[in-house]
Formats: sequence, C-alpha cells, structure tokens
Amino acid sequence: MLQYVIAGLVLGGIYAIASAGLVITYVSSGILNFAFGALAFFVARFYYYLHVQQSWGIVPAAVVSIVLVSPAIGVFLYFALFRFLRLSSPLIKVVATLGLLVAIPAIATLIFGSQAILKAPGLAPEPVRVFVFLGVPVTMDQIIVYVCVAATVVLGASVLRYTDVGLKVRAMVDSPAKTALSGTSANAVSVGVWAVSTFFAGLAGVLAAPIIGLSAGNFTLLIAAAFAAVVAAKLRSLPIAVGVGLAMGVVTSLIQRYLPPASSWTTEIIDAVPFMFIAVFLVYNLVRGGRVSETERVGGALDLAIIPQGGSRLAGSTAGALESGSVGLIGKYAGPLALMAAAFGLPMLVQGFWVGLLAQAFAYGIIFLSFTLVTGEGGMIWLCQITFAGVGALTASQLATNHGWPVLVAIVAGGLVALPMGLIIGFLTIRLGDLYVALVTLAFGLLMENLVFTMGIFQNQGLGVNMARPGFAASDLGFAYLCLVAFVIAALFIFNLRRSTTGLALNAVRWSEPGARTLGISVVQMKIIVAGLGALVAGIGGGFLVAAQTSAQPGNFATFLGVVWLVVLVTVGVRSNVAALVAGLLFVMLPALALAYLPNWTAEILPVFFGLGAITAAKFPDGTLARGGQLFRRWLLRVANRRRPRLPGEPAAAGGVRVAAQGGTGDATPVVEEVSS
Amino acid sequence: MSTFPAPSGTPADIGEHAHDPVVPVRPVLAATGVTVRFGGLVALSDVGLEVPPGAIVGLVGPNGAGKSTLFAVLSGLLHPAAGRVDLCGEDVTHASPQLRARKGLARTFQQPELFMGLTVREHLVLADRIRFARRRLWSDMLSPRSLLASSRSENERVDALLELLNLTRVAQATVAALPLGTSRLVEIARALATRPDVVLLDEPLSGLDMRESEDVASAFRRVVDNDEHRVSLLMVEHDVATVLSLSSRIFVLDFGQLIASGTPAEIHGNTVVRSAYLGDEGSPPAAGAQVNR
Repeated sequence: MLQYVIAGLVLGGIYAIASAGLVITYVSSGILNFAFGALAFFVARFYYYLHVQQSWGIVPAAVVSIVLVSPAIGVFLYFALFRFLRLSSPLIKVVATLGLLVAIPAIATLIFGSQAILKAPGLAPEPVRVFVFLGVPVTMDQIIVYVCVAATVVLGASVLRYTDVGLKVRAMVDSPAKTALSGTSANAVSVGVWAVSTFFAGLAGVLAAPIIGLSAGNFTLLIAAAFAAVVAAKLRSLPIAVGVGLAMGVVTSLIQRYLPPASSWTTEIIDAVPFMFIAVFLVYNLVRGGRVSETERVGGALDLAIIPQGGSRLAGSTAGALESGSVGLIGKYAGPLALMAAAFGLPMLVQGFWVGLLAQAFAYGIIFLSFTLVTGEGGMIWLCQITFAGVGALTASQLATNHGWPVLVAIVAGGLVALPMGLIIGFLTIRLGDLYVALVTLAFGLLMENLVFTMGIFQNQGLGVNMARPGFAASDLGFAYLCLVAFVIAALFIFNLRRSTTGLALNAVRWSEPGARTLGISVVQMKIIVAGLGALVAGIGGGFLVAAQTSAQPGNFATFLGVVWLVVLVTVGVRSNVAALVAGLLFVMLPALALAYLPNWTAEILPVFFGLGAITAAKFPDGTLARGGQLFRRWLLRVANRRRPRLPGEPAAAGGVRVAAQGGTGDATPVVEEVSS
Repeated sequence: MSTFPAPSGTPADIGEHAHDPVVPVRPVLAATGVTVRFGGLVALSDVGLEVPPGAIVGLVGPNGAGKSTLFAVLSGLLHPAAGRVDLCGEDVTHASPQLRARKGLARTFQQPELFMGLTVREHLVLADRIRFARRRLWSDMLSPRSLLASSRSENERVDALLELLNLTRVAQATVAALPLGTSRLVEIARALATRPDVVLLDEPLSGLDMRESEDVASAFRRVVDNDEHRVSLLMVEHDVATVLSLSSRIFVLDFGQLIASGTPAEIHGNTVVRSAYLGDEGSPPAAGAQVNR
C-alpha cells in the first residue's frame, strides 16, 4: 500500500505543480492556459537538448531552462499576446491558448528536430540512486519531485500570505479594476504571475519527462489531467488545486493496485481517472450550487462594468456585426458564392491523388460546419466535435462493412448515433460556465478516446475498419462531388436556420442570456438544439470522411487533433459556412502541397501558422476570411465612390449610420455618428 | 434637496399623465407578502405592491432598499422564500422568466441587455414573432420561409413600434452602433413588441443626459397613452423628480420593507419617506398616504 502511495505522490506532485501554475494565471488574468502542457514539453525538450545533446551539467541546464528560459517565455507571451486578452471573451482566450498549444510543439520540432525520445533524464544524476524508505524503494528523481512540491506549497503560500507582492496578487484576484485604481500596476503583477506560471510549467515538464518521455502528446494529456484539480478548485483556490492534484495521483496509483496488470483495460482506465474526477467534481458542485460558472465571485461592480456586453458569449466581433449590417446583399453574398463556384470547379482541374484529397477536404468541411453551429452560432466552446465525428465514422463503418447497410444510410445513421450524445452533453453542461463547458467536453472526448475508441471492434488490430463508397460515387471524382453536395446541403440548412426565428433567437442567446430569457426565449432549449445539431453534422461529416479515406481509423479522431481542427477553423472564420469549406481545403491541401512541392520542413511550419493564426482571433474574431472580405468590400466601395461623380452639397455617405471608430479587439464599444440623409 | 426634489407644479399637477383608475380593477401585476433572504440577511420582508392596467407605477427607495431584489422576484430571476406574485390574476410565483414573458411580463435592464449582432428592426421582429408567430423548431429548420420577406402584418406591427419610439431612422442599424439613450429605447421597443401587459423598467434613465432622459420619459408617456395596446409600466428609478412627474402611484422601499405607497403628491409630502432619503425625523405623513412602518 505504502509503495503505491509513494509512487502516486510523484504523479500527484506533478499534477499539483501544474495545477498551481494553471490556477495562478487564471485568477490573475482570467486565462485558463490550455497551452500549459505544450510549454512544459518545450522546456523539457530544451533541458534535454542542453543536458543530453550539448552535454551540459544538470545544474546549469536546469537553471538555464527552468529558471531563466521558462519565465522569459512567460514574459514574452504576456507582452506579445496575453495582455491584449484581458477583456476578451472566454472563447477568444481559449482559442488563443489552443493556438499556442498547436504552435509550440511545432516550433520545438523545427528547433530541436523530430526524433522520438522515449527516455529522458530528470534532475537526478545518472545512474539514479535508489533509497529505501520504510521498506519501499524511492528514487532520487521521486525525492526531487517531493521537494519541489513542498517548496511550491510553502513558498507559494508564504509569498501570497506574507509579502507585499502576494497582497497585490490577492487584490488583483478580488478586483483587478480596483487594484489598478489604487495605484498598483496590473501589468507588473501580471508579468510576474506569467513568469511564475511558466516557471511552474518548465519545472513540471522537466520533472515529468523521466516518467512519460518527451512526447508533446503525452505532456498535453498529463496537463489535461491536471485540469481535474483545477476544476475541483473551481479555477481559483490554490490550496485545493494542489491538494486535489496530490490526491489524484495517489488515487490513480491505488486504483492501479486493484486492476489486473495484464488487462488492456487497466491502462485505459488509469488514463481515464482524472477525467472521471472532473465529472465527479462538476456533478458535486452542480448538486450543491445549482450552477458552476467561472464568473462567480469574480471582481466587483466596477470589473463587471468594464467587461463588454455580450462578452461571455462573444463569437464574433461588434465590428464585424456593424459591418455586416451595413453592406448590401451583393456585398454580403458575392464572395461566398464565388468561393463555392471555385470549389465546384476544383475537382475538374486536378487529377488522381489530388482529387481524393479534395474529397477528404470537402468531408472535413462538413465536420467543420459542426463548429460553425456550436461555437459560431451557439457561442459554446466545445472541444469534442471530433469525438462526435469519430462516433459517426466508426458507427458508419461498422454498419456499412460488418452489417451490409447501404453506405449513405450508414453515414446518416452514424450522425443519428452522435445526435443523442450531443443532446446529453448539451443538457449536462447547460448550467456550466464557458470554461467548464470547454473542460467537460475535453474530458468527454478523452474518455471516449480512451475507453470506447480503443475497443477491439473499432481498432481491428490496428488496421481499422474498411469503409466503402456508394456505388454511384465510387471514384474519387464522384465521391468528391458527393461530399461537396452534402456540404452544400448542410450549409444551406445552417443558412436557413440562421435567418429563421430560431436563428435570431440563437443570436440573441449568444449576446445576452438575461435579455433572451426575459423575452420568452428558452436558453436551455436553444443550447440543446445547437448541441444536438452540431453532433449530428459532425457525425455525418465523420462518415463522409472515412468513406473518402476508405478506412475508419480511431486514431484519426484523437481529441487533441480536434483542437487543431478548431484552431484551423477559427483562423479562417468560425461564423461563416464557406469558411468551413475553405478551412477543410487548407487543412488537407496545404500539408500535401508542401510535401509535394516544397522542402519537407515546410510541412512543420504549417501548424505554427495555424496556431499563430488562431492567436490573431484576439484581433479579428470573425476570422481571416471575413477580414479579407471586409477589406475587399472597402476597396470596392472606395473604387466605386472614386468613379462616381459627387453631386454638389452631397455628404460623404448617402445616409444611415456610419461607423466612426471600431474597437481593435472587436470587443470595444464602437462609436457612431448618425449621418443625415 | 437633490436626492428628493420637489416636483414642478402643484400637487394636483403631479402625475398628470397617469391613468388613475376610478373603478377598482384587477391589477396586471401584484406581489403579496414577498420575503427574500440571502443567508441571514433579509433583503425583502413581507413586501406587496400592485400595478393597475395602463398606468405608470414608480418604485423608489435609497440604495440597498431591495428594489433590484424585488424586480428580480417579479421577473422570475429570483424565487422568494415566502409570498406570491400574480400576473393578470394568475399565480406565477414559481414560473420561469421565459414563462412569465409569454404570459405578458417584459422587462428592461439597468445596463441594456441588447443582442449586439442584430439590427434594431431584428430585435423587434424577434420579439414580435415570439408573441405572434411561434414556430416549431422543425418548421424553422426545414422550411425555406426564412428566405422570403416578412409578413405584412408583422411589418406593420414592427413599423408602428419603431415610429412610436422614434426609432425608424435607425431601424437598420446594428445596435452595437447606438448611443445609450437610443439603446434604452430599443430595449423598451423590444419589450413592447411582445405585446406585454406590464413592463418592468430597471433604472431606465440611468446614465442618460438631460435631453436623452426627456426623450425616454416622453416615450413612456406615448406608450401608456397608446390606445392600441394598454400596457402598464413599473419603473425603478433614482431620479425621483421624474418618477413623481410620470407615475400615478409610487411605492417606497427602505431596508427591505415597504415604508409607504400612494400618489405622487402623497409620497412627496410623506415625512417617513423624506426621513428614509434624508435621515431627518419628520412630522406625521400626509393624508391619504399609506405608511407601513
């Protein structure tokens, strides 16, 4: 028993350090850093580079990587990105950190190379000494973890409780606005907090490397597990986060004791434990409080007053809303129609391998439309759309291949299987704040990935399950057009919904829940509708995707790959149907084009571009496609005005409302002047 | 006396726009014995009020008196520990906000809760359809009706409201572009588009300059004077002079208790009310005013 507790405290210690880092950045800046695992990986990889590849000693390598470089990265990220996000909506904040989550491992690969490192040294000298404590062997690496956790707890608590810096941080937690008004620089406090947080990320990364190896995916999963402790702490309590982190490690280790070591289920259940913790904590808090929201107990009236209206649900910008209201029908629809026409022409212009890729790109477009529904229309941060796509894909392949169903019927059935899952998740998360919804959907995706997608019936000994295409569209060209037609049908369906009363009501809920509720709109109904439809579309898209790939591989529906999908779509535009198609094309075609026509390393740059593209969502929440459209329309308008002779005494604009200033982040309240007609 | 100024004109002029009912009629909104506790704190204690049809009723009181809590109870955002709320004679104490909205209650917010992605007209269209054209989700999703123009009757109702509140010229503007005073009018228009029996107005003049306040106040008069639809307004407002000039009846809260109710003239002369606002112990209340303390 003691052996399991001691072993569990190592993993728990790493959870504790990670959750401490996550909590302090959240309470001081309102940002839940989904890129924490990626940062931990980067620093651990840098430590490995110095210590192993450059033969530096442990101490200088650790000092440079953990004490100097980690905080420097935090300071850089604060000044380059996070200071602009303070008043942004949760969606923008989450997407920005997800962008980093995608970009940082790719940057690490570009700098350090892509070699797989299964065994990495920790902070203990090698060979690692082993001590015996109460009859239990304890390694030097484990002792270092215990010391680091103890130091984190004692130093962290002392600094927060007894120092002037701690007082300022606690004041910021209570009310950033009042703290700033009392003369404390919010920037200075935030810089310090980000430096400390990334120091924790680096420390957790170097401590975890001997246990999980140097794989970005493993690091992200480890830190995702630490989110359970953060949820238990309701995002804000440092002692609870550290305590639950430690407890989670011990419980995970103890559960291991009672599971059969030879069973394949053991690893899957162990991996799923933290996500079960998330579910338990949320259910407990919901039963106790009726609602769990990150906005509870945050700031005072002044802080609330400076948060832009609709900020909690913002999926798009007021600037975009203003502009979309001021352009005519041609201005609004000419661009999308031209892009759709180009998409229909593309399969005829290319041949062979590229046509097959286009079919996949169009299928991705259908899946991406589910994000358009859930995040774009519903304003909800769901990180498990890929899971619904996977459910649809695996169901369709089973029905078509093993039960002889017609392919199209099997694909629709796959969507219908995903639909109730979406409805259930939507119903369960209805009383949760945005960040909790993101965490729950992430946990759900990881649970499904670990417990369901790994089942033998889907894995088929690593080969996956074959998926046929309908007989009338068996060729790549025929199936590409079938996917495109399916995309158009789904897009028209969303377009129609958006313009309908239900669409107006969805828009209303996204901008103001209290306003919508007192108007007689059922917020619950609206959210559940969107959740169900999103799951249905993702499931059907998943079916088309595996038919395009001719095989259903569960590994293609890993939860964190879904994060990349979201990042790509947000970069292009999460509120536009056509943007979903363009995102599908970019996601599939750019890497293939890079591999075919450019040096291999350029393929590694693409995730960096996509990641950094998502970060630009802070500046242009409507996405690059909409931004490009806006710039193009303005250019057309300027050209048209220049050519048209102005009548004597005619004002610059013909009438209506002219936007005089727009918020740079899209969150600021714009100022308008009314122009007399 | 800026906190509690004397209204302009004689007591007889006060509330001249009010529709003071001569014959007792059933109130459109009534709260009886409402009590709300937050832990050990009693935010409202046995509070009652009535809003007659087609009238402007004021609800005033110093900061912390419990006005916002009472508004939350009336609109269904908060459930009372004891007491009852009736809407058009029907008990709605435990009804959700959206159910109350469907039964004829609308409200505005101190910070306008508008839908930034919609135009002014779309706000009214949405509210109008919630009242007149409730469609099933499936028909909304599958029928291409949304691609067609709106119905003539819907357009007429929306246009009439836009005109009533002087919003026609900004009808196609996205609300994110509007100044605060116009935003408040949009919120009121949106509330009226649901054809409510009573609208709760939460500090509708807060943050407005003098001209904007006058515009909004005159809009209230036009709304209750509108013969097409008889609607009542219950208004929480710190600008006591405006409340006195607009309302036919006023309720005064202090420390969670109803300390007085009556006509504007009665409230103006009420020493208990003056004491609550200014802290001076005064003479006996004016004749006619009910004193509940």
